[in-house]
Amino acid sequence: MNNEAVKELLYKIADDLLILGHRNSEWTGFGPLLEEDIAFSSMAQDKIGQSYAVYQMLNELGEQAPDTVAFTRSANQFHNCQLVELPNGEYDFSLIRHFLFDTADALRWEMLTQSSYEPLSLLAKKIKGELRYHTMHANTWIKQLGSATQESISRLQHSLEGAMPYALGIFEESPFEKEIIAEGIFAGEQELKKRWQLKIESVIGQTQLHLPDFKIAVPILGGRIGKHSEHLQPLLDEMSEVFKIDPTAEW
Amino acid sequence: MNSLDPRVVRLPQAGEVKPKKSLDQFGTFEVFVQAKEGKPFQHEGAVHSPNLEMAYLLAKETFTRRFTCVSIYVVDTRDVFVSPITEGNQSAYELISKDGEEDDKGAFEIYHLPKRGKQHVHVGTVEANSSRDAMYRAKDLFGAGKIIYNVWAIEQDKIRFTSAEEKDLWNTLPEKKFRDASDYKGGDKLKEFLEKLKT
Repeated sequence: MNNEAVKELLYKIADDLLILGHRNSEWTGFGPLLEEDIAFSSMAQDKIGQSYAVYQMLNELGEQAPDTVAFTRSANQFHNCQLVELPNGEYDFSLIRHFLFDTADALRWEMLTQSSYEPLSLLAKKIKGELRYHTMHANTWIKQLGSATQESISRLQHSLEGAMPYALGIFEESPFEKEIIAEGIFAGEQELKKRWQLKIESVIGQTQLHLPDFKIAVPILGGRIGKHSEHLQPLLDEMSEVFKIDPTAEW
Repeated sequence: MNSLDPRVVRLPQAGEVKPKKSLDQFGTFEVFVQAKEGKPFQHEGAVHSPNLEMAYLLAKETFTRRFTCVSIYVVDTRDVFVSPITEGNQSAYELISKDGEEDDKGAFEIYHLPKRGKQHVHVGTVEANSSRDAMYRAKDLFGAGKIIYNVWAIEQDKIRFTSAEEKDLWNTLPEKKFRDASDYKGGDKLKEFLEKLKT
C-alpha cells in the first residue's frame, strides 16, 4: 500500500470534516428554530467526531496525535477544500453548503465502504447512519425552502450560484489519484463528482431552483494543496485558542 | 409607520380596517420514542414544524440525541385523539361510550397514561371505525381491571414511522457520551478543587 497516497486522502477527508464541523458549530445558539439549532449543532459534533476518527488513523500511520494535528498546523498545512472554510453567511448559504458538501461526503463514504484500506471501510460502515441523517436533513430543507416562498427560493438560488464553483473544488484531484484507484483504496474524485452531480440534480429538480451549468462553472481549486482563502486562518486561531493557552487542558 | 414593537405594528392605523393576521408560528407535531427493541413507544414531547417530514427530522435530534433509541415516529398534534382525563379511582375508559359512526376506518395506535404526570405509553393497536370506536374497543383489550387516567388513539395512516433501513440513524448514539452532563464529572472536579483550597 502506498502510505503517502493514503495519508493524502485521509488528510483531506479529516480536514474537510473538522473545518466544516467548526463552521457549523458557530450556529449553536443562533439557529432559525430551537429544534433546527439542536439538529445543526448535533451534526457539527458528528463531523468533528468523524474527523477525530480519521486523525486517529493518520496517527496509526505515523502522523502526530489528533489534537496536535488539529490545533497546531497553520492554514497552508490544511488540505480542506475552500468551500468548508467560507464564513457561514446567512442560513441560506449554510444550508446550501451543507447540502452540496454533505451529498459529496455521504457518497464518498459510501464508496469507501468498498475500500481495500480496512480502517476506512470499517469507519464508513460505522457512520452510515450519521450520514443518512445529514443528507436527509439537507435534502428535506432544500426541498422545503426551494419551493416555499419567493424570498426563500431567491435566497437559496443566490447562495447556490455563489457556492457552486467552491463545491466543484471538493473534487480537486490528488497527485496520487492513479495509485489510490489502482490499489482499490478509493474509486477517485472524478467518479465521486459524477455520482454527486446526479444526486444534486435529482434533489434540485424537485424544487423551483435552477442548477448552474456544471460545464460553465469554474472550480475554485487549491485547498487540497494548502492554498486557502483569508477566512481559514482566523477560524484556526479561534479553534485552537484554548489549546494554545494550555495544551494539557481537559474540558 | 415602521416599529419593531409588535403592539404597535398589530394595531390598525387610524381610520383603517384590516383582517386579523394569522400567527406566524408553525404547528406542533407529537414525538414518540422507542428506547430499546421490545420496549413500548413512549410520548416524549412535541416539535414545531411546517410539515410531517420536517417534524420527523427535527424530532430526531430534539428528543434522541442522548441515551439510546432504536426508533421514533411523529404525528400532527391534531391527529392525536384524546379521551377525558380522570382522577382518583375512575378510569378514563369508563367515560367512553360506543360510537356508531364509521368516519375513519383503519388501524389505531392506543396510548395509556397509567400515572398522572408521567408520559403516555403505547399499549397496542386496534382496528376500528373511528378514533372513539378505537378507544371503546381498546377498553376490553388493554384497559380491563386497570385505572387509566387518559387514553390516546392515533390513526396509523397519519404517522411518519421510521423505516427498517432508517434504523441505522441511531447506531453510533451510545458512543456520544460527551452529550451527557454526567460524562464531564463536574461534581468530582468541583470536589477536587475544593479539597485543594483547604490545603
